[in-house]
Amino acid sequence: MDRRKFLEKSGVALAGTSGVLSLPLLTSCTASSQSADSPLSGRRWGMVIDLSRCSEDCTACMDACRSENNVAFHGDERWDIHWIRRVNISPKDSEHRDEKSVLLMCNHCDNPPCAQVCPVQATYKREDGIVVVDHHRCIGCRYCMIACPYNARFFNYLENPEWPNKDFPRRSHGVAESCTFCAHRLDEGLQPACVEACRNAGHGALIFGDLNDPNSEVSRMVAEEPVKRIREDWGTEPKVFYLGL
Amino acid sequence: MQERLSGLFTRNNRIAVTIFVVIILAPFAYSLVRPVLTRGSSPNDVFIELPDTGECVRDTEYMRFHHMDLLKETREDVIRRGIRGDITFTGCRDCHTYRGQFCNKCHDAVTLNVDCFGCHYYPESAEDSLRLEGEGHDG
Amino acid sequence: MDVKFAPIEGRSTGYLVATGLLALFALAGVYATWLMHVHGLQLSGMTNRVPWGLQISMAIFYIGLSAGSLVVSGLYGIFGQMQYKPFARIAAYLAMLFLIAGLLSILTDQGRIDRVFVKPFTYFNLESMFSINPGLYSGHIMICVLYLWALFKEKGTLTKIVSLVVCLWAIGTHTGTGAIFAFVPRELYNSSLLPPSFVAAALSSGAALMILVNVVLFKGTGRSLDDEIIVWLGRRLLAVFLLVTLYMLLIENVHRVYLVESREAGMFFLFGGFHSILFWFGLIGFGSIVPAILLYVRRTGTSIGWITFSASLVVVGVLCERFLIVIPGLIHPPDLFPGMEVTGTVLNEGVMHYSISFLEVLQTLGVLGIIGFAFMVGLKVMPLAPVEAKAKLEEPKKTSKILALIGGQASEPLST
Repeated sequence: MDRRKFLEKSGVALAGTSGVLSLPLLTSCTASSQSADSPLSGRRWGMVIDLSRCSEDCTACMDACRSENNVAFHGDERWDIHWIRRVNISPKDSEHRDEKSVLLMCNHCDNPPCAQVCPVQATYKREDGIVVVDHHRCIGCRYCMIACPYNARFFNYLENPEWPNKDFPRRSHGVAESCTFCAHRLDEGLQPACVEACRNAGHGALIFGDLNDPNSEVSRMVAEEPVKRIREDWGTEPKVFYLGL
Repeated sequence: MQERLSGLFTRNNRIAVTIFVVIILAPFAYSLVRPVLTRGSSPNDVFIELPDTGECVRDTEYMRFHHMDLLKETREDVIRRGIRGDITFTGCRDCHTYRGQFCNKCHDAVTLNVDCFGCHYYPESAEDSLRLEGEGHDG
Repeated sequence: MDVKFAPIEGRSTGYLVATGLLALFALAGVYATWLMHVHGLQLSGMTNRVPWGLQISMAIFYIGLSAGSLVVSGLYGIFGQMQYKPFARIAAYLAMLFLIAGLLSILTDQGRIDRVFVKPFTYFNLESMFSINPGLYSGHIMICVLYLWALFKEKGTLTKIVSLVVCLWAIGTHTGTGAIFAFVPRELYNSSLLPPSFVAAALSSGAALMILVNVVLFKGTGRSLDDEIIVWLGRRLLAVFLLVTLYMLLIENVHRVYLVESREAGMFFLFGGFHSILFWFGLIGFGSIVPAILLYVRRTGTSIGWITFSASLVVVGVLCERFLIVIPGLIHPPDLFPGMEVTGTVLNEGVMHYSISFLEVLQTLGVLGIIGFAFMVGLKVMPLAPVEAKAKLEEPKKTSKILALIGGQASEPLST
């Protein structure tokens, strides 16, 4: 076999391999199949945060979230993960007189840009509206973090040194994550850890419930109170509402 | 069109390509040959002490060869559809307390890495359990 | 004009040293990637606020180079004119290698490299540019291979058809790559001009690359080169692409600064940090305006030395531009509360910093090492390099001493 034939055959092999690798496009299994009788259908989880009841020095929700979900903390703001965190905002050109404290977390948007851009559908929206990461499938490309306009997503740059809640898995390094509305607790009929902690701390600033249920507290508040969402003009349709923003 | 005559298949080129291919294929060859060289390393030969604390969710034969399918289906059900049943790692641990005598036995024998336990809690042994205990803080 | 192609001898010290060095770089890069795979990406300079860094910037740079050089090479096929023929094969081969370099850069950047060989092929999300693009990239590689094959076989009509497909597909690939950033609701990313400006910059970097590669290869291996070809590449192609890129950058930035809602971000991009220095000096000044002037002024625009210098400036400029696509949009915080100043309590909510870590540099060197090595080997094994390229019968030009370090003398006599 002379050089020319060899090169031809190598070229065909390369082209063939690339072609074969595109075959799964035809047989791809997407993860969007949901069975009709899934326990999630019909619900639409949402949260209202009443900023007037949120006390600036309290960290109950953040601590509870970290212990419940094994969220990584390294003491380094480059890599620390905060599924829920506090920021202080004040009007520009003021002297910090009207400083307000706001809790930021994943908004579980109805049009989540993060789920739109995940190449393997590891980040997806469950039937009950919760945006979750399947850590078995995540390849760690971090495109979801790029796409989230709220900067609410984080990446495990390091191994998590702690495991406070052994009943819940922790994430190894190399995958992205964000708040899950404590989906594992919701599936068992409990409230998210932050909501429970805030109530136990006596503030009750986090109100959580089913937006599809007209009798729930969140539905009432969204319908009657002057709630706002962060940057509604982005069209992401977040499901975290703020009272007093 | 005349091509230059330093041919593609000179002796040197052939030797180089052969060495390259051998190096690339060496790990695969090793994993093929290792079970033959190491006695008792096929899943059929590994003996796992079965606890007598009741029945497993599936029979032994199925579990031995298809537990990964079961785990995968359960995983999709739980994560994507919120259907939580009775198949959990915690459930396995109720009977098979430490994975040193359970999962690791077969997996070490066939040198197949398990990705699960960097994230899911399942101590290898009593010592491992103590070590992991130290990684939790009160709360 | 008849063009003969031949493998290079590849026995000179320069060739062997270069190839050996490239292999070493490749090994260093593999080692750096392995370290990150085992110990986590904290070994890079990336953080939660800046999740993409040097590797992604280099990846889009390489992909740009790839399409650019492929389009330039495709012009040979489309117009079928002999003056483009001499560098068509090298251009196609380099295009394929640079795309592979882009893919390698992205690969080394993933959090779970062990999964990225399987999951993206079994799970798709047709809404995601990261899922669509690999299809475009694989197609691109297949077409490069097909194009190379058509060139080797000297099939005239097939070459014409494939080169047309090549040009169109390259534009598609680049639009897709630009869309990775443009189709995302981040203030400094979201822009309809980004995909076309990405294509324009890709074309300039590709043309510049072609100039550099051909000057080095021709002069360095003692093959004679008709200056007209390089002048054409420089003044007719590169200069035009530069102006188009400048135009798009102008519109994009004026637009951002004009509208109130994006003014703060636009001003931050132009004047707010180290990246602004890269923008004004690296991209606009030395990367676009200076080369454009050099190319248009007759005296410098017809001299091989000056054209080569301009091409180098353009390559550096486009590298700055790729960096500027990725980083400023990440270090600038999103405007969550318009009109309000945000102070973080546990995280930095303001402008972040990103510095490149040593291991990231090693990874980049590794990728360059791998494809450089493949290029060197390809030159020796396949008839890629033209023996000569001139329109008329002429005496071979004198080789330059510096460039003669690379490659050896052609083994065939230099006359047709």
